Amino acid sequence: MALYDPVNSSLVDANPEKGTFRVHRDAYRSDEVFKQEKELIFSKCWLYLGHESELEKKGDFRSRRVGGRDLIFIKDKKGVDRAFYNTCTHRAAKICRVAKGNARTFTCPYHGWVFSSEGELKSQNASTGYVEGINDDGHLDLRPVERLEDYRGFYFVNFNPNAISLHDYLADARSAIDALCDQTEGRQIILSGDHSYTIRANYKLLCENSYDGYHLFPVHASYFDYLKDQMAGTEGEKLIEQALKSYNTAGQARALGNGHAILDSFVPTGRPVAQWLPSLGLDTKDEVEAKYASLVERYGQDRADYIANTQKNLVIFPNLVINDILSCTVRTIEPESENFIRVHAWAMGPEDESEKLRAIRLDNFVSFLGPAGFGSPDDIEMLEICQDAAGHTPLEWSEISKGFGKADDPLVAEGPPDDEIQMQAYWTMWDRVMRGIETLEEK
Amino acid sequence: MTLTRAQAEDFLFHEAELLDDWLLEEWADLYTDKSVYEVASPSCEDPVNADPDNTLFLISDRIDRIRGRAKRLLKPTAHAEFPRSKTRHMVSNVRVVSSDDGTTRTRANFAVFRTKEDTSTVYMGEMHHTIVEDGGALRILSKRCILDLNSLYNQGRLTIIL
Ligand code: FES
Ligand SMILES: [Fe+2]
Repeated sequence: MALYDPVNSSLVDANPEKGTFRVHRDAYRSDEVFKQEKELIFSKCWLYLGHESELEKKGDFRSRRVGGRDLIFIKDKKGVDRAFYNTCTHRAAKICRVAKGNARTFTCPYHGWVFSSEGELKSQNASTGYVEGINDDGHLDLRPVERLEDYRGFYFVNFNPNAISLHDYLADARSAIDALCDQTEGRQIILSGDHSYTIRANYKLLCENSYDGYHLFPVHASYFDYLKDQMAGTEGEKLIEQALKSYNTAGQARALGNGHAILDSFVPTGRPVAQWLPSLGLDTKDEVEAKYASLVERYGQDRADYIANTQKNLVIFPNLVINDILSCTVRTIEPESENFIRVHAWAMGPEDESEKLRAIRLDNFVSFLGPAGFGSPDDIEMLEICQDAAGHTPLEWSEISKGFGKADDPLVAEGPPDDEIQMQAYWTMWDRVMRGIETLEEK
Repeated sequence: MTLTRAQAEDFLFHEAELLDDWLLEEWADLYTDKSVYEVASPSCEDPVNADPDNTLFLISDRIDRIRGRAKRLLKPTAHAEFPRSKTRHMVSNVRVVSSDDGTTRTRANFAVFRTKEDTSTVYMGEMHHTIVEDGGALRILSKRCILDLNSLYNQGRLTIIL
């Protein structure tokens, strides 16, 4: 199979005359391409690290792997959120070996060096041997990541010191994050618990799937059967039929710049904020409708309708997925190799939500979105059969043409929910970054 | 009636056998209208006492979803289990924890071996059952599985019933 040469060839073939948009399957199956992605995508793009609500108290920390780097995300003892590489400056030992906790200092298990929550080397556990002032230049302090910035509490890192700001990078994805944050007068927080699981597939297959409206009926038929069974004999049953019939025409897929895109659709499952449908239970009607009224009061009818009634699947290039649908997930896709990924998913919800709606939100998450739910596992199966077949058959190209050509620039196109314009935006950005046409650096 | 260890063991073995034979609707019939079937997330700090109303679980099914899960998994459109996994449930170290008023609470160790295509993985842990007599038969009022895992790194996902 042809190996990818980022300078002289492209793995993305967009042909407006023919109306085709194709991606070479080496983009999913070649370890050579994956090596280049580590350099070009995962060393240049902003990558999601965590949410501010995960670090409530001074000293709270999380250890995370982001873009192939092990990091410590910590609120230091002065209350500043920081990110360090999780490695001792002495001889590399991992200094933080638990997933989360609270600490004022980290003691390296190997020779006992002690680092403060601000990253300073406090003790070398030896009084002789080192020259006086060996760390006056700070080279033995924990190494902070090159860049750490947040947008409305969502923290991202960038390993390129010259990268454009997170604000500029997010482009119109900021408005999608706004629509999530504006659901509540308080703040959105990461709820207790998480899901961590793996998929034997390329990370880009999960990105594609996360806002692929085209696959909804074939892959999730058994979920809709289940919903219909639950609603049988109620007014909800008709609502489901109606909404599913209009799925292809109501809502849209929109590219948001820089490879980010969102799918706004109307899947009839109800949203704790703030769309009451019978599937949420009769006893929640008043509360959900009150939330809706409050949205109208704060933002006006149109924006309130958008916030409350639209199911939103957002992919922030290259590997953050926020599914704000029947429940809200924040999901990172960490590639371990070209055909193996680790998914880390958290539930997000308004801090000021009632116990009842919180319970429904989590129940919705578990029912569809988790690795034991009625939705995601069927998606995962599809990704694994794509990966497997792409790796063991000689066909070279995958077709992603649906809706192609709606705009001169695929990075800002729009189309109906079952188009593939969101993927065209993603791949266009991927191609530009991989070929160095887009450097994502301050000029 | 309350159960002896041997009776509890027979009952849990029966549940395991239904699952390994993919008799899932018969399995769902072991549950009452008020039953729950739960699997805590591997990262859960206190999986025995955690409440799925405020902490994310892997599975927290009330009876509608227990029956829905059984029904769904038997369809060829439940892609995650087509072709179907082979499973082997091993149940051991059964203990009767308490037994009163016709309610028996048990703890047991489990290992479920699963083969999907050419990959075999294990889900292991402890399960807590509350068994009651209902309509003249023994039924499960609640079952909570607590996995000895830190993530689903080796297993990928959980599409079988533990
Ligand atoms: S490696 Fe950390 S103290 Fe030596
Ligand atoms: Fe899906």
